[in-house]
Amino acid sequence: MPPPLLELRAGSRTYPGARALREVDFDLRPGEVHALLGENGAGKSTLIRLLTGMERSDAGGSLLVDGAVVAEPTPRLMNAMGIAAVYQNPTLFDELSVMENLCIGEGGPLVSWRKRRAEARSRLARVGVELDLDRPVRHLRMAEKQAIEIARALGQRARALILDEPTASLAQNEAGRLLDLVESLRAAGTGILYISHRLEEVMRIADRFTVLRDGVRVGTHARGSVDRAGLLRMMAGRDLAELFPKEKVPIGEVALETRGLGCESGGVSGVSLTVRRGEILGIGGLVGSGRTELARILFGLTPADSGEIRIGGKPVAIRSVGDAMARGLAYVPEDRKAHGVIAELPVWENVTLAALRRLCGNWPDEPREEALAAGLAAELGVRAPSLHAATSTLSGGNQQKVALARWIATGPSVLILDEPTQGIDVGAKAEIHRLMGALARRGLAIILISSELAELLALADRIAVMRRGRLAGILPAAEAGREELLRLALGEERS
Amino acid sequence: MRAARRELALVAAIAVVGLLPLFGVPGFYRAGNLRNLAIDNLPVLVAGIGMTVVIISAEIDISIGSLFAVCGALSGLAAKAGWPMPLVALATLAAGAVIGAANGLLVARARVPAIIATLATMAILRNAIIRATGGAWIQDLPAGFQWFGLPQAVAQPVYLGAAAALFLAAAWALRHTAAGRSFYAVGCDHEAARRIGLAPGRVVLAAFTIMGALAGAAALLNFTRYPTIETNAGVGLELQVIAAVVVGGAAVTGGRGTLLGTLLGVILLGMIGTVFTFLHVNPAWGKAIQGAIILAAVVSDTAFGKRERDD
Amino acid sequence: MTEAPAVRPGSAARWFPNAEWILLLLLGAEGAAFGVFGDHFLTAANGFEVVRLAAEVGLLAFGLTPVIKAGGIDLSVGSMMGLAAVVLGGAWSSLGLPLWLAAAFALAVGAAGGAFHGLLITRLRVPPLIATLGTYSLYRGIAEAVTGGYGSTSGFPAWFLDLGQGYLGGVVPVQLPIVAAVFIALWVMLHRATIGREITAIGFSPEGARFAGIRTARATVRVYATCGTCAALAGILYVSRIGQAKADAGLGYELTAIAAVVLGGTSITGGRGTLQGTLLGLLCLVVLQDGLRLSGQPGEIAGLCAGLVLLLAIMLNQSWSRARRASQVEGLRNPDPKSPGKFKMKNSQIAVLVAAILAGALLIAGSNWWLVRSLGRAPAGPVPPARRITVAMTPKTVTDPYFVTCREGAAEAARELGVDLLWDGPEYADPAIQNEIVDGWITKGVDVVAASLVNPKAISSVLRKAQEHGISVVTWDSDAETDARAFFVNQATAAGIGSTLSDEGARLAGGRGQYAIITTTLTDTNQNEWIRAIEERMAAAHPAMELATIHPCDGQRDKAMTEARNIIRAYPGVRVLIAICSPAVPGAAEALKQEDNRRVMLTGLSTPNLCRSYVHDGWVGSIVLWNTRDLGYLTVYAAAAVRDGRLKRGDSAFAAGRLGTLRVEGDQILLGKPFVFNRANIDDFRF
Repeated sequence: MPPPLLELRAGSRTYPGARALREVDFDLRPGEVHALLGENGAGKSTLIRLLTGMERSDAGGSLLVDGAVVAEPTPRLMNAMGIAAVYQNPTLFDELSVMENLCIGEGGPLVSWRKRRAEARSRLARVGVELDLDRPVRHLRMAEKQAIEIARALGQRARALILDEPTASLAQNEAGRLLDLVESLRAAGTGILYISHRLEEVMRIADRFTVLRDGVRVGTHARGSVDRAGLLRMMAGRDLAELFPKEKVPIGEVALETRGLGCESGGVSGVSLTVRRGEILGIGGLVGSGRTELARILFGLTPADSGEIRIGGKPVAIRSVGDAMARGLAYVPEDRKAHGVIAELPVWENVTLAALRRLCGNWPDEPREEALAAGLAAELGVRAPSLHAATSTLSGGNQQKVALARWIATGPSVLILDEPTQGIDVGAKAEIHRLMGALARRGLAIILISSELAELLALADRIAVMRRGRLAGILPAAEAGREELLRLALGEERS
Repeated sequence: MRAARRELALVAAIAVVGLLPLFGVPGFYRAGNLRNLAIDNLPVLVAGIGMTVVIISAEIDISIGSLFAVCGALSGLAAKAGWPMPLVALATLAAGAVIGAANGLLVARARVPAIIATLATMAILRNAIIRATGGAWIQDLPAGFQWFGLPQAVAQPVYLGAAAALFLAAAWALRHTAAGRSFYAVGCDHEAARRIGLAPGRVVLAAFTIMGALAGAAALLNFTRYPTIETNAGVGLELQVIAAVVVGGAAVTGGRGTLLGTLLGVILLGMIGTVFTFLHVNPAWGKAIQGAIILAAVVSDTAFGKRERDD
Repeated sequence: MTEAPAVRPGSAARWFPNAEWILLLLLGAEGAAFGVFGDHFLTAANGFEVVRLAAEVGLLAFGLTPVIKAGGIDLSVGSMMGLAAVVLGGAWSSLGLPLWLAAAFALAVGAAGGAFHGLLITRLRVPPLIATLGTYSLYRGIAEAVTGGYGSTSGFPAWFLDLGQGYLGGVVPVQLPIVAAVFIALWVMLHRATIGREITAIGFSPEGARFAGIRTARATVRVYATCGTCAALAGILYVSRIGQAKADAGLGYELTAIAAVVLGGTSITGGRGTLQGTLLGLLCLVVLQDGLRLSGQPGEIAGLCAGLVLLLAIMLNQSWSRARRASQVEGLRNPDPKSPGKFKMKNSQIAVLVAAILAGALLIAGSNWWLVRSLGRAPAGPVPPARRITVAMTPKTVTDPYFVTCREGAAEAARELGVDLLWDGPEYADPAIQNEIVDGWITKGVDVVAASLVNPKAISSVLRKAQEHGISVVTWDSDAETDARAFFVNQATAAGIGSTLSDEGARLAGGRGQYAIITTTLTDTNQNEWIRAIEERMAAAHPAMELATIHPCDGQRDKAMTEARNIIRAYPGVRVLIAICSPAVPGAAEALKQEDNRRVMLTGLSTPNLCRSYVHDGWVGSIVLWNTRDLGYLTVYAAAAVRDGRLKRGDSAFAAGRLGTLRVEGDQILLGKPFVFNRANIDDFRF
């Protein structure tokens, strides 16, 4: 058997005060898809940093390419040896053009823009995306940025490709296309290290699975020798259900209604829907179909320019976030880091930030705030060293709980959750699902935007599907099947 | 073409301001006047090249006015010590580069925010030179100091040519070399730059070093115009240079900016004073007009930027 | 389950979350060092003097703290002081508003100017640095344009002047309660009000704050408007301290204020910062400046040290917060009782570094102290005086070559007489700085102050105060109001200078044609007096001469050359340039030389050394000056003689060392008439 393409032996990494990785063995063979699984904080990112040469293993560990030890790995060197990585958050250069982003850091000391243009065009073609090559990438959508990142990695004639949560921000059909691409690369002999929280995908394409927990390798299994529940157990160290289906609660009167709602700059038009107290309305559709834009309209971030919003049966004008909050709306945004929480603030300030003016007017009352924050933190099971610790020291799942707590603190009647479980680990995901159920029981109307069909199907009472800024249809979840939802999301092009 | 919008707007602005002298005293467009205008603004342009690199890297350097004076004084001392002029020039550039590198180390290694680090070095250098010279000028320089010993009629075109060559080389390098692009990459995002194998600290250090060396070059181009050296020169140069670069379209948030824009910014801000003198406008209005033009330029950029976001 | 205990941070961390306690150490050490080396440093009077020094910069720094904490910056605060001063003066004297209403109007202009920044930043998305860089020029520009630069308002009523000059109960400066009130109001706003929380959130993440329902645009506009109002208030206090409203108020103050804020632990990237930190940062800078002055160190040493302190404090703060972050992460991942130990170790490293800085500061102050004492012991003459007297001499600027030569003469006389000479002045002709310098000398307790006044109205009051403290005062070069000094060492009157320059200019131009003037800045008081004198003399004696234009060169030769070239091209009728600023003459001469223009003549005020070669080559027709070296020399002689009673009112002659016996007219000692240096005689003068 030929030596593995890429191998880490006894890789360890200690950060000041924490051992992120302990003597982990990992190998990647040509022509396989090797899935790396684990909860957040299990050491996956650290493993990738070691494999790409961003960091070096502590003494005792070694990195091998084609069976030969790489003495001093650096990102540039690993790149030159055909190891490429695509990270979870696109790490593009916002101000630079699509063309430059596709080829940056390659080639010799001189840059030939003619060659780059041709190369960029062929790379984009390879992932099946068409973009203006001269446009700065800051204007692009998330999915387009992801495509650029993958195209860049592929273009480097990578023999080993590391994909870190590549589908996290992609909708189902785009994710499907990516998986097709992964399969064709595997067929061409590329070794692929695949990281995802979506077990469904992983089960579909991976040949082998390696599970990390607390910086230690729990095990490596070949396809067929382990099932979904087994993987979950290995990741969590205990039996865990992935999803918590919503329990039946009585559905009340209409909390929020839109009629022909639209906003030209957001690309949304003619959306009419209702959501009732105690109900979870799921919103599906592709990324860029207008789901987040709809939420932004409702929350006054990009005010509507057509149609109307009714709350409690009365038409209301929502021109600003302040208006929306005054009407009992709350919005937990998609991008946790940039919008959901302010990472540098202590946990308690983050929790009370949105409710502050309503709660205390111009003069904050700290003991009262702390009591509120402590109560919510306990209710949501926020694990933090202290309420006064900076929120950035919390794990992703706990940060998401803080973001949720902030809006529960405002006592909303309608709660909009935009991809609330994206990129967080299985345990936290289950807790957030459970919490949504509890809130619905309390009589909140919940709008859940999600790219994960399984999540929508398990939690929502009804599912609205968006397509190109319009509502493609609304189905009761009980009647909706995956096929039906996909057909609505994609329109005429049946999948 | 999208990238050229700011440049086109500047060309238009320059054209408008350039038309004004037609309504004033004749003589603005005489070759001699244009040459003077160019020679006077060479130091700003040369320092502006360095500042563009620094701003593209998402940093800023407000110590260059003081550095300019220090480099000038050092060049004078070296010339007085009898060093041959090429060596004086080299030593001046080296001194600038070393002090620039010190700024770079403070920013890249000690992680002091650039505006604070260079605010401090600005105070230190300026006060050091006052301390050292007591405000006295450096006089009795060798005859070969002014214009490097060339006749003025020869030297001026040589200076213009040298600056033009420097500008073209820098513009080419910034666009067509991997090293040039690395300033853009680091200015956009340190983490992303690290992932493509760049060392952001080193790139930032390089940007400040280049800035320092070019501040030295600007000092040479300025002080060798005279037979003596004014040690208190360059007060406020940093704001003049930053204004030109920013009006030229560079984003203080990093990653965006071109040398063509900087050149146009230097031309626009550099010509205003002279144009208004030819129009016999009261010089008391100078600062107000300058401020209004800076604001107009950046506000117009936002208007462009908005249209861009909408399409 | 209590998974997130509400452990409150300790009180030190609550009050000084950004390691501001380092500044307390620094301040303590400064106090200790200057207590030893400075004269009268540790006195209540000096404590209040420090407050007075800190008042205006402090207002700017306090106003800037919320701005910087919200992730912004405001470079225009100094310019706003100038604009507010002009608005105050204009509204009071030209519009005839009551003074309190004019002041309110000036504050409103400050608020509006600040709100304008807020709008540029929130509506048009201009980065704060750029927006305020634009208004930095714009606001000062408007102030200069409206007044033509030179226009000024004075003659304010006594109650208003007391704001900046008076003492409550004879000890507490009136500024103290005003600044304290502003401090408390801003402190409550930043640390106790909801808007303070919002500012913090905006500073860390403007988008995150918007998503949390905070009205970021409104908060931002308010923060900038508050900052503008503080700047306007600082402008008003400045006017009241100087007694004159002019466009140059607050020139260059913005950088000191920003330095104080940043030194005080406020993060330039936003989010972190406290107002008490800013206060400490401000005091560190002001005490350093004051202490070094009382230790007899010139201003540039204070500037140097301020730069170093800023750098070191920020570096310490950086390494400290990195250590703190690491320990926080550690505490999370590994709740281990050992971690505080490590943390302490980091602190001790920092303590060592702080000690190192302080040792450095002590060394500087100490070496000077030692130097002064040891020089003092050296025999200075055949009969050493029982107690050496200290003559403190301030020029208009320390960087002007004119004054550099004065200093040489002064030092020569000091050596001959065996007196201690202190020499300190503003870097640029700034009356407020000169005022502070003299104030510092009063506290230090020098024997004689010899001042060349940047601005007679602004400095006379502090000279009177010096006399009240038993200090003898003489003026030189530029006089004070007559009751504010004993004698004036008169090199030439404005009228004398004006008429000599006019006569020279008219002679060079052949008696007819246009002339143009190159001045220092349009706001410079002395230069403006000379300009008036030139115009009067021209009108009276040379009616065929006509003034074409007046251009400022900012005291810089480079700009003088550019302006001279532009003038000779844009004003073809100009026959003669009169440059009334010593670097401007060689600058203009170089312009003529490089243009090879023999048609336009040049004269002006400058020193022979700067112009010698140009005079020989004929580019400068003549320069008008007195022997500046002798001026410095004579001043020190006069100062010493006034102190030991050898020179009294009513004397008609005075023996001044190598200058021989000079005439005394009333309360003026005459150096002689302005002298015209030309090709024939310039080589007889080496200064």
